[in-house]
Amino acid sequence: MLRIGHVWQMALFALLVSIAFACVGGQSLSQRIKHAIWSFALFMLIGIGIAWLMYPFSR
Amino acid sequence: MMASQTQLSQIHRSQNPIDPIYLALAAWIVPGLGHLLQRRWIRAAGFLIAAGGLALVGYALRGEVFTLRSADPFGKLGFIADAGSGSFYFLARFLEPAGADISRAAGEYGTRFIAAAGIVNLLGVVDAYGIAAGRRS
Repeated sequence: MLRIGHVWQMALFALLVSIAFACVGGQSLSQRIKHAIWSFALFMLIGIGIAWLMYPFSR
Repeated sequence: MMASQTQLSQIHRSQNPIDPIYLALAAWIVPGLGHLLQRRWIRAAGFLIAAGGLALVGYALRGEVFTLRSADPFGKLGFIADAGSGSFYFLARFLEPAGADISRAAGEYGTRFIAAAGIVNLLGVVDAYGIAAGRRS
């Protein structure tokens, strides 16, 4: 079994899905790279944001 | 004068003689193959890395793979998502020889990775079909 932390799992998921979104998102290569970076950043920000919001209920 | 959608489709088909349905089938069986056959190298590599990576990480985390015989409706939806990854779904038995372990959180996450691999590949199938039919560039 692969043993990596939850944050790294989220980052890996965000990276791979962002690559797929970039493939269908932009027209040129530079647009696709921008699309992938934006998508990855939003995945991470929203993921960490939701984790913070759920923190008080985790105890 | 602007070319109509039909004319664009005909131009696309003359450049790419393979039927869009066969390209969509190829894209489903091997992620990225539909784009590769249309010489869209970057997109082909992107879909192979994304769908293949998600599936392999999902199996490495020992996620659950759903079958058509799943008892509940969510299992059947899971089957549709999982089967979307084509060859990666059919090779699940070999890629995950120890079977699923959803008693740990990692196994649950792995289940989501495997489902996401199928959904991402279905996105690739639709994109490859769209390019072949002349609806996308």
